[in-house]
Parts: sequence; structure tokens; C-alpha cells
Amino acid sequence: MSVPLRDPANQVSRRAITLWLLESLFGFVLLVGGSALAATWISGASWSWLPRWIEAGIWWLPAAVAVLMAPFVVIEPFWRYAVHRWELSGDVVYARSGWLSRQWVFVPVSRIQTVDKEQGWFERLLGLATVEIRTASYAGSSSIKGLDYAVAARLAEDLARRAEELRDDAT
Amino acid sequence: MTASPTPPGPPGPVPGGAPPPGQGPAPSYAPAARLSPRMLLIDPVRMLPSLFLPLVGVLFVGGFSPPSFGWAAIGVVGSVAYSVIRWATFTYRIVDDRLELTRALVSRSVRTIPLERVRGVDIATPPLHRLLGLAVLRIDTGAHGAGKQEGELDGVTVAEAERLKTVLLRTARARRAATPGAGPEIGPDGPLAAVDAPAAGAGTCVPGEAIGASEAIEAGASAHAAAHREPEVVYARVPRKWLRYGPLSGAYLLTPFALAAGAVGLAFQWGEQLGFGGDAAVSAGRWLWDHPYLLLVAAALLVVAMPLAGVVMYAIFNWDFTLRSRDGYLVAERGLITRRSVSLERRRVRGFEIVEGLAERWAGVARVWAIVTGLGDSQTRGQLLPVVPRAEAGRVTGAAIGVLAAPLRPHPPAARRRRLFRAVAPWAALTAAGALLALATGAGAWWVPTGIAFVLALLGVPLGLDRYRSLGHAYDGTHLSVRSGALRRAQAVVERRAVVGWTLKQTWFQRRAGVLTVIAGVGAGVGGYEAVDVSEADGPAFAAEVTPDWIAPFMR
Repeated sequence: MSVPLRDPANQVSRRAITLWLLESLFGFVLLVGGSALAATWISGASWSWLPRWIEAGIWWLPAAVAVLMAPFVVIEPFWRYAVHRWELSGDVVYARSGWLSRQWVFVPVSRIQTVDKEQGWFERLLGLATVEIRTASYAGSSSIKGLDYAVAARLAEDLARRAEELRDDAT
Repeated sequence: MTASPTPPGPPGPVPGGAPPPGQGPAPSYAPAARLSPRMLLIDPVRMLPSLFLPLVGVLFVGGFSPPSFGWAAIGVVGSVAYSVIRWATFTYRIVDDRLELTRALVSRSVRTIPLERVRGVDIATPPLHRLLGLAVLRIDTGAHGAGKQEGELDGVTVAEAERLKTVLLRTARARRAATPGAGPEIGPDGPLAAVDAPAAGAGTCVPGEAIGASEAIEAGASAHAAAHREPEVVYARVPRKWLRYGPLSGAYLLTPFALAAGAVGLAFQWGEQLGFGGDAAVSAGRWLWDHPYLLLVAAALLVVAMPLAGVVMYAIFNWDFTLRSRDGYLVAERGLITRRSVSLERRRVRGFEIVEGLAERWAGVARVWAIVTGLGDSQTRGQLLPVVPRAEAGRVTGAAIGVLAAPLRPHPPAARRRRLFRAVAPWAALTAAGALLALATGAGAWWVPTGIAFVLALLGVPLGLDRYRSLGHAYDGTHLSVRSGALRRAQAVVERRAVVGWTLKQTWFQRRAGVLTVIAGVGAGVGGYEAVDVSEADGPAFAAEVTPDWIAPFMR
């Protein structure tokens, strides 16, 4: 059995894979570097309560971390690309994101308070952008990452204009 | 952010046809007013604690000699002069549609609060104020961030406080009623939300009528009468004998320990100031250490004092709690020494949350909070009822806010497995690790933590089962509700119109168990209310049931 929700219509940009690859590489380097630092610290400390075999084999720690995490560095971006999708129809924004864990967000345009278009450092490099949609609640807010810049700009503009129109109707 | 499309309402501060009741207010609000001069009696008294130590210090250093008396006099005179200047340079006034608080002590600063942003007005009377017939008026604007745009008038006469409250609330409401825009779906101060009040006058849904619908049922008044002049209804007057339930909430139970710690801290601080030095304290501590039974007796006394102190503190804060509705506001009043009155605008109330701790459930009592849009500090301000019997909580919330007319639906068996696993597994793992360590090292000391972990693992079984029993969600056509938690069980009941979006979440483990978590995004209270571990089929269906237009098109 699976969740009875259909896939949102649009995929994010293919270049988002590169973005996620860069990000996961960055995280990988930090993680392996951190465990290497911890290993240096532990091997230099020579605590009496630590069993001898741990101290002798402490350099296996960063190696193990690297071997275990390496596949995910490659898998995560492609997995995310398969999961991350979005759609705007019937004045509702429907977006799916995640990889190991997933989340589906539904934001009706009439409840939107602000729409932001953002570009991080990597995103600017790749010509991508993130659309942040905010309502009065964190659970009704969504950010769609890895959109092509032109697509993001159009989506943000459409949403802002439509939100304005709908509010006029509602009040 | 005064809305540019302000309609051509009456320019005066009091809208026509809505004369403030009670004592006739001064006809003009334009001249700036000062706080009551009686505050000059309170301010120096309040400064005493901060003056006390320096004064004692001066007397000790200089001895009881003319110069030190001189210094002490300068200190006292200085602080009195400071409060006089502060009083003289602070003024407030209501101009057209705003309240201006002007402070010209060092540099001139004017804080302007647009009346249409006033969400509530609290009046508190601390003991000294009460003695002099004064009150502290706090104006809640619902601004985010502590104290960003809040206003405080510390020390107006009680009559003036009541008058200001009436004027502020009435004007604020009239302004907003004339300015559609704070519509039901619009949350707290979103940039678009606040500006976007179109001049397209009477739309299909006048905010006043939106509440009118729910109010009319309760108060038996028409929508407009409800908006303007509604008979005062007392929803709850908590009898004093219910004060004994207070400690069950766990509130103030640690008071004896806090007091003891404070006393020890003070003893150290003053001991040094008064010249005993640290040695005396250390030797006192050592003496106590040599007589451990004294420490034990002290600890036992503190423990025995817990429920007693709990009852006393709780009674002081929740004395004669009353909840009534007045002019479109829910007003909660409580307190013995400081009488505190909190007004919640009913138009902004979106639901309520019933909270029960383990001991409270055993005794059949509960606490209630209101879920209000744009309420800062909702933990203390939003409380609708202190600890009262469950039936009473149901009755009062039903009369004041709304009723959930549907039973909670249970969650699938997978949710029970997950609750049990999460309550038991960590402690079971610790037990296993501890046992392994104990067997491997042969050290008997390891068996103590292992035993504790084992007991906790066993306790995890009833806890997990209870957590599962607490889970539930419901929708009755106007209100949705979710419940979770065992040690602190909380059930939120929220109006459908407060929902601003949905988030569905599924972790990898939840996916394997075929469940997910549904979070209703609500522009009030904590922002989101979760139904944990709903089955994959029921989760989206629940969201679609509440807001079909938003979810149904995307269902398979």
C-alpha cells in the first residue's frame, strides 16, 4: 500500500541533481573531516578508561564513515530528483520533497501571505532558484527548491498576483 | 502599517452610536495625559531593593559617619528625582486612530500604536498599585517578537484604566469592522495581509458577522448586537474548593526548592556584603555535612512542603478565576495579590486546547487554553480555565467557543506497534548493553544502571499503550481535532476556517509501517496540529474531508 496521492505534475530542473550533489559532497567532506579530527583527538588523549583496541583502531572510524556514507552521496541527489515535484493547479500549490523521509505540502493560494524567490551561492552558479511560499503557519508553508530560474521567477510572480486577486474576492 | 485604504470612518476616537458605558469619559482625548502622580510613591519603594545593597555597603565602608549618611542621602534623593523626572517626561494620548506614548527622558521617543492593531488589553493590579488605587495597563498588539510593539501604562488610576480599555477596544473594533481585511483566514500580521484591506466595502463576508454566527447561538444575540453591545455572559466562575486540584498540574510544585535555593544564594551574597566572608558559609556547609541527618530532615521537609506550597502558589495566581464575555471579548480574571484580567478578542479565537497531565487524568481534571491568532505569550495569556473537572472544561469550552460533535477516530495497529517500540526499545537496548558490560567486565556496579534501564523498559509498555490510546483525530463539519501524548495529553479543537494549509510527513520507518503524520497548518496557537501515525489511506482522506477543494484533486 502506498499513499493515495498522485505525483505533482512538474519535475524540478535537472541541474538540481548537480546542486544536491554539491551539497551532499560538502556534507560528506565535513562529516569525514569531523570524524578524522575526533580520531586525532582520541588517539592523542590516551584515556585510561578506554579499551586498548579502540585506541589502536581509532583510524578505522573516519574510514568506516567514508565507506558507509559514500554511496549516499551519489544516491541522494538522484533519489531526490525522483521525489521532488511540484504543481500549481486549482489555486493550490502541491509540492512533494524529501528522499528517505518524504513530505507533501498543500498550500491554497488564497492563504498565502508572502512569496519569496531566493538564490543561494550554489544556486546562482547553476542558474537555479528556490520559491518560498509562506502562510500564517509553518505547516502551511512550503519551499520549492531546485527550480530553473526562469520557472521560479514566473511561478513566484503568478502566485503573488493570484494571491492578491483571491484575497480581493474573499474579503 | 496604518492601512492606506482606511475608509471614511468617523474621525473622532469614539465612533458614533457606541458611547462608552459606565463613568462618563472626558470628551476630548487629544491633550496628552500623564500617569498618576501616585506612582511617585511606588517608584522609590520599587527601587529600594536595588538601593539597599549599595546603601549597606556605603554604611559599612564609611561607618556611621556624616559622609556616608551624605552619600546615602544622595542615593535616595537621586532615585526619587529620577522617578519624578521619568514621571514628568512620560505622556500618552489617543490621537485619531492611534495611541502615542511619548518618553522624553534623555532623547525624545514616540511609540505609536495604531488602534486597529490593538488585539487585547490587560489590566493588572500588583499589591502596591492596589493600595493606591492604581493599575498597570498592557496593550497587546499581537506583534511578533517580545515587546516589539506592545504598550504599557504602568500606573494609571483604576477608573482611567477601565476608561482607556473601553475606548481602546471599542475604537479598535470599530476601526477594524469598517476595514475588511482582518478576515477570518488572514493570520497574524502577514505583510500582505495587513496592507491588503481593499476599499471594496461590504463584501460577502463582513468580519463582524463571521463571529456573529457563532456568537448568536451562544449569547442569543443578533450578529450586530453581538458586535456592539452584547449582554455580559459569565461562562465560568471557578469555586475555591477546586483550587486543591492545582498541584495535580505539576505547577509550582518545585517552589520549596526554588525558595530554599534562593535563600541559600541570598545568605551567601549578603554574608559577604555584611562581612562574614565566605569562610563562615563554608564552615556552615561543612558542619551540615557532618550532620547528614539534618540534611535529610531538611530534604524531607522540602518534599512534604511541595504539595502545600503548590496549593498556596496556585491559589495566589488563580484565585477566583472567572471567564466572561464582554463586548466581543473573552475576559479571564484571576489572582489574589495581583489581580490580572486578560481580554481575548473573540473574533480571533479559533479553537481551544485541553491539556491533562497523568495525575490530572487520574483525578479527572483538565486545563484549557484558547487558540488565538496573533496572540503573543499565549501560554500565560491564552489560558481559558485553570485546573477544573473535565465535565466543566467541556461545558465551558462548548458555551464559549464551540463543541466537537464527533468522536475521535482511533489510529491503526501499526501506530500502536510504533508507540510501543519507541517507548520500550531505547531502554531495552540500554538494558542489553548494560548486561553485556556487566558480564564482560564482571563489575557488579554495572548492574545498577542496567536494573534501572530494565524497569524503565518495563514501564515503557503501559506508557506506549497509553500513548497509542491517546492518539486520535476527528472532523465534525466545522471543527477538526487531534489528540496525542500520555504524560501530557493535549487535544486541540480548531475551526475549519483557521486551516491555512496541510503538511503530510512520512519518515522511512513510517513508510515501512504504512502510516504517516498529518499536520494541519493553522494561523493561530502553535501554528500546526499533528495527527501522528494515521494510516496511509486515512491521512490524505482526513485532509480532503476537512478541505476537499485543496486535496481531492490530487488524490489517486
